[in-house]
Amino acid sequence: MKARIQVVACKCCTQAPPLLDMNDIMSVVSDRELVVSSMLVDGICDSKNIRPVLEDARNKDVDRVLVLACQKKDFSPGLLAAYKRAGINEFLIEFVDLRDEVVLPHLGDGKRAQAKAETKAIAGLQRLLMLEPLEKARENMRTTNVVVLGGGASGRRAAEVAAAQGAHTIIIEKSGRSFKAPGVIMPNSSLTGAKGYGGNFVLTIKAGEKPEELECAAVVVATGGGWTELKGPLAKACKSSVPLYQLQEQFQGGAALKGPVVIADTPDPAGKTLAVQDFAWDETLALATDIKRKQPLEEVFVVFQEMRAFGLSELAYKEAAELGVKFVRYDRSAGPKIDPQEPTKLSVKDLAQGDVLAIPFGTLAFAAIPANKDNQAIADALRIPMSPEGGVRRGSIQRWPVSTPRPGVFVCGSAMFPKSKETAEAEGEAAGLLAGRFAMKGTIEFGGIVAEVEQEKCSACLTCVRTCPYEAPFIGAAGKAEIRVQACQGCGMCAGICPSKAIELHGFTDDQIMQETRTMLGGDF
Amino acid sequence: MTDKKPKVVGFCCEKHGMDSAVLAARAGKLYDASVRIIKVPCTGRVDGIHILQALEDGADSVFVLGCLEKNCYYDTGSIEGRKRVEYVRSTLADLGIEKERVEMFNASSTMAWKFPEIVSKMVEVAKRLGPIGKGGDAR
Amino acid sequence: MIVAKRKPMAEIAEMVAPYRKVKVIGCRSCVAICLAGGEKEAEALASALRLKAKKEGRKQEFEAFVVERQCEKEWVKEVEDRIDDSDLVLSMACSLGAQTIGDMYPKKLVFPALNTGIFGVPEEQGVWSEKCVGCGNCIIHTTGGICPIARCAKSMMNGPCGGSANGKCEVNLETDCAWYAIHERLKLQNRLELIEQVSPPKDWSTSHSGGRRVYVREDARLTQHQKKGREAVR
Repeated sequence: MKARIQVVACKCCTQAPPLLDMNDIMSVVSDRELVVSSMLVDGICDSKNIRPVLEDARNKDVDRVLVLACQKKDFSPGLLAAYKRAGINEFLIEFVDLRDEVVLPHLGDGKRAQAKAETKAIAGLQRLLMLEPLEKARENMRTTNVVVLGGGASGRRAAEVAAAQGAHTIIIEKSGRSFKAPGVIMPNSSLTGAKGYGGNFVLTIKAGEKPEELECAAVVVATGGGWTELKGPLAKACKSSVPLYQLQEQFQGGAALKGPVVIADTPDPAGKTLAVQDFAWDETLALATDIKRKQPLEEVFVVFQEMRAFGLSELAYKEAAELGVKFVRYDRSAGPKIDPQEPTKLSVKDLAQGDVLAIPFGTLAFAAIPANKDNQAIADALRIPMSPEGGVRRGSIQRWPVSTPRPGVFVCGSAMFPKSKETAEAEGEAAGLLAGRFAMKGTIEFGGIVAEVEQEKCSACLTCVRTCPYEAPFIGAAGKAEIRVQACQGCGMCAGICPSKAIELHGFTDDQIMQETRTMLGGDF
Repeated sequence: MTDKKPKVVGFCCEKHGMDSAVLAARAGKLYDASVRIIKVPCTGRVDGIHILQALEDGADSVFVLGCLEKNCYYDTGSIEGRKRVEYVRSTLADLGIEKERVEMFNASSTMAWKFPEIVSKMVEVAKRLGPIGKGGDAR
Repeated sequence: MIVAKRKPMAEIAEMVAPYRKVKVIGCRSCVAICLAGGEKEAEALASALRLKAKKEGRKQEFEAFVVERQCEKEWVKEVEDRIDDSDLVLSMACSLGAQTIGDMYPKKLVFPALNTGIFGVPEEQGVWSEKCVGCGNCIIHTTGGICPIARCAKSMMNGPCGGSANGKCEVNLETDCAWYAIHERLKLQNRLELIEQVSPPKDWSTSHSGGRRVYVREDARLTQHQKKGREAVR
């Protein structure tokens, strides 16, 4: 069956500002064989222009479309939907973004822009002829389960919001403590493995003697920071030192603190443990101020590498200083030290004065929170990346702030990096909403721009299996690589790396890419 | 220097790569029309042969533009892209062909200044070094 | 490819005699193709050893199975349970496979059932001849495509020696003299001047004589980030 192409160009995108002569381009492109319909429209996004375009497409039995306008994401969704209804495969609609790639950046270079636009249109046409129709498929999600790892502030909030979307929530909590949350709570449990893909995961949960399998549609990682761990030479030298949050709890619980109180940033100033977070600064200021208000005669020292006062925090800093909190700033090269023989004295070189101070203390707290060391095991089980500081890493910010690079797996709270309870809860809400909505979709849609292995060419070298971040390639029963289409994100890393050239990415095959390159290089501009 | 119009090819990922190029254009930044942008879903899709074939087909310089490595939409795509570019560069260098003709860049979608800078640099390289070899015209 | 051959049966039988539960693990790759350690050979060996055990009144269990490529951790991991369950693993892969299992499970005993071997060319079905010794610095473009290191008994860089007669080697009258063959090949290609060029003594540092060799493709290595824990390939 020969292709029957419609070329649609938008004046609004391509002639404002008026750089290109679109009539010229249209006549060059339409002159080609297989172009049965060619329409230069005032503005495609104007719905009144959709009808004539569609009618011509129907009358001329068009099966694929070349759009000379803007990006697909800016294009009229109405026209795309209409094309779909007219039976034109969505993957046979090729976009040439003349506006952002020619008109706007080459203003003032009209002649070259014209030649370039013409070449792009021809290259687009050639590419369109090389495309094949692709179909998306659906698979039912076997459950509406959202598994939340961690029953802390952000985890509980995530479960609440996910449940409000209709999802069935299961909180996996490593401790035995009890708390209120919707759905099911599994105490004394942890995640040890995960298989599958977003929408249909199969998790392995260790809850007692035998590991259990748990199916779910989405996972929310809310495992928090390493609240209870203090690592570093200072913590080692002073066994009675506590993390900041514990000091907060003691103080708010009404305990009288033994002064002088020293709040230092990290117990490992020279080491690689977690850099001090904004959270630590704000909370430290708040607590120092509170202590001074309640016990004004008590000495309070804040010993930090940086005084991180920005924005409104400046006012809190000012107030604390006025109340008599003493701020000591130090450099890593001459950081605070505790001689184990004198475990109640902190010596540190104050950068402002240049002197080494010897601060005797009654209470020592550390504001920085190391990462939860369980996070590595969770990240390994779920195959999601970690940040250099030891927190769970977010996906590209384009994938929203509470997602991981793995579809269906979300992250919130201090598991990422330490933050205040309010922020952690807000993130939990976001993650719960995304996870819940995702789980309630009922089906997973996949396919289209996905990879495919030509089994005959496959050497079963395992390279694709090892490279893919989504675990889409696997070795099938025939001993050759196959692509688990449900997990494939269409990035083409496997296609690019396959040593046997056995994998192609639909819509971006080697031929398609190289033909486009060749045509563009042939253009005289 | 060459007075022929330089030919630069840029393989740009459809995520942060193209986003930064489009943002540059919409922010009113101009860049040399010599650049031919070839879109790929991810720079991990780029194969060494795409770059080499582009040079064979007449490109004087080729760049690959992907997401920042710590922020890649596909997690490790731009890391893969970098490895492919490195391999081509070292192959070219071993053959006495200037490896600066091929380069990897990274940007995030908000970096409006980056794309014109990249084009500028690669056009300068193309003009300074001229076409590869004297014999055999490009197709 | 790598060509190996099974050790003499008597040697294998003696090796495995003290062990109760023996897993005979073959490989579907090189050793299968050279008919030394594929599924067929593994099953046959297990069967033969069962007969031997029966004859000598010993209680032994032999289970035979194969993995895709025994030198790849991912594939060996798939049979971890069975390895764990063994008193002895009798590897029917080349030594690479046997050592891979040993390195992954250092507490388990892994014995080789094969002698590895050669880089061999299948001359005809059933016959594999050594044509390469992996010297790491191939010069066959100067010798008409014939490797003198592998195919000359003295690995001469400038031959033939005085013992070459009628195109055969004095060491073994059935072996072709490699340098005679090189001469004839170069004559055919009109490049006889190459044979007059004197090659310097071979630099063996690129061969195993230079020590254990590791080949690296830097651009193919995965970053820490990419090397997340991965489950079994299936």
